[in-house]
Amino acid sequence: MTPTQTIEIHPSTEVPPVIQLPQPGRIFADRHARFAALSQQHSLSDWLAYLGRLTQAQHDIALTLDTLAPPPPDAVERARQHGMPPLAALSYPRPANWTDIARRLAEKMAKGAPEAMHAPLAALGAMTVTELDAIADALLDGRIDPDALPETTIVAAALQTIWTALAARLDVKTLAIPDPSELCPCCGSLPVASILKTSAQINNLRYLHCSLCNTEWNVPRATCTACNTDRDVNYRQIDGDDGSVRAECCDHCKSYLKIMAQEKNPGVDPVADDLATLALDLLVDEAGYSRSGPNLLLLGGAG
Amino acid sequence: MNVTRRQFFRICTAGLGGSSIAMMGFSPNAALAEVRTFKLTRATETRNTCPYCSVSCGVLIYSSGDKSKNAHAEIIHIEGDPDNPVNRGTLCPKGAGLRDMVQSANRLKWPEVREAGASEWKKISWNEAFDRIAKHMKADRDANFMVQNKDGLTVNRWTSTAFLASSAAPNEAGYLTVKTIRALGMTSIDTQARI
Repeated sequence: MTPTQTIEIHPSTEVPPVIQLPQPGRIFADRHARFAALSQQHSLSDWLAYLGRLTQAQHDIALTLDTLAPPPPDAVERARQHGMPPLAALSYPRPANWTDIARRLAEKMAKGAPEAMHAPLAALGAMTVTELDAIADALLDGRIDPDALPETTIVAAALQTIWTALAARLDVKTLAIPDPSELCPCCGSLPVASILKTSAQINNLRYLHCSLCNTEWNVPRATCTACNTDRDVNYRQIDGDDGSVRAECCDHCKSYLKIMAQEKNPGVDPVADDLATLALDLLVDEAGYSRSGPNLLLLGGAG
Repeated sequence: MNVTRRQFFRICTAGLGGSSIAMMGFSPNAALAEVRTFKLTRATETRNTCPYCSVSCGVLIYSSGDKSKNAHAEIIHIEGDPDNPVNRGTLCPKGAGLRDMVQSANRLKWPEVREAGASEWKKISWNEAFDRIAKHMKADRDANFMVQNKDGLTVNRWTSTAFLASSAAPNEAGYLTVKTIRALGMTSIDTQARI
């Protein structure tokens, strides 16, 4: 800390933001750094490191996407009036060059890729627009082809990059407060995890983190984000860990979503830390809960 | 079978072998073996209101244990409720010490009485306590209730006993408190929330 920096002692008098749009210039770079740190010592270290490289590629591409046309203002206004997300994942038209972006991502992932990735990455490079659109539709509609999981993962990463860049172009004042609160106010997707944030303005508030466009929106704590009850909610964690990642489980709807605490570990990332704590998913699944939001970088975990 | 969209997001032991992890060329075996050495713990977070003063800060109470008969449930942490518009997650030093108050060894857990002339406190039952309080109140009210003041004006007041209400009481309990106390003619009523 430099000597000129002031230390915040009193809580901010500013009202904390309800919706926080992503910052495409740093979200993937920060996530890459987190993947790199998590993969140092881990039972899935190679996989996490490879996904770290995927987020680095997402970052490189995100930096080139500031020319992407923002959604038309009248469409954003119409969405707001009807309480709908302006960038609805399944219905908002994908940018004309989205398939190029997906192919570029595949190209970047070829070097040093494991043997099993060579064929899928080559296939992606040769796919027509229709074929790539079909993979994207299947992913966003929950009809993923179990024989195309590697291809779908790369397509998912491409869509994340594009939707993050699009969401960043929105004006937060034009967005409707999401209802139901489970869905992203920008693109209507389900959240990947909750994060308890700490900053000058935010004192341990819970934000849901969008699985597709990385937007974050505030939802009260100690509440089930899938069914809205504040009864029957409990928190599971692995005995003896630092408590920075817990599973928020609901005994009413039998669902769970992970909740991460920046206060416990300022580095936590909703996507990277989610994948680095698969053991928690496996144990909570055995305890009878099912996950209420996807992580697009891990597909087909249900068997 | 009840198929919901949620099942597509399931991540389970049987699923990892066919998941994108394996399909991308990485082995989930070490992770699967490691899980067997882990154990889950359970905790809850419950909203409440700090009982100390009129600000009535929201608090989140963290408890461990799974509510089953054999498990030991315990309050492990109390912090300000970040969602509460009054205190936005903050607490004063007194509020920050709430857990020590809840778990204090000196905390009164049942009614006690020290008889006139005695030096020791004696544990009594709740029914006994209610009876004694009612008898004291009635004796005092019978002795001091004033129907008319010295000018002959009807006042129906009982000024020799006062009542202190809880600061954590909701509106409904506050309403009932005032109705009950005023019906007895008691004029001195206050609440901890004002102190």
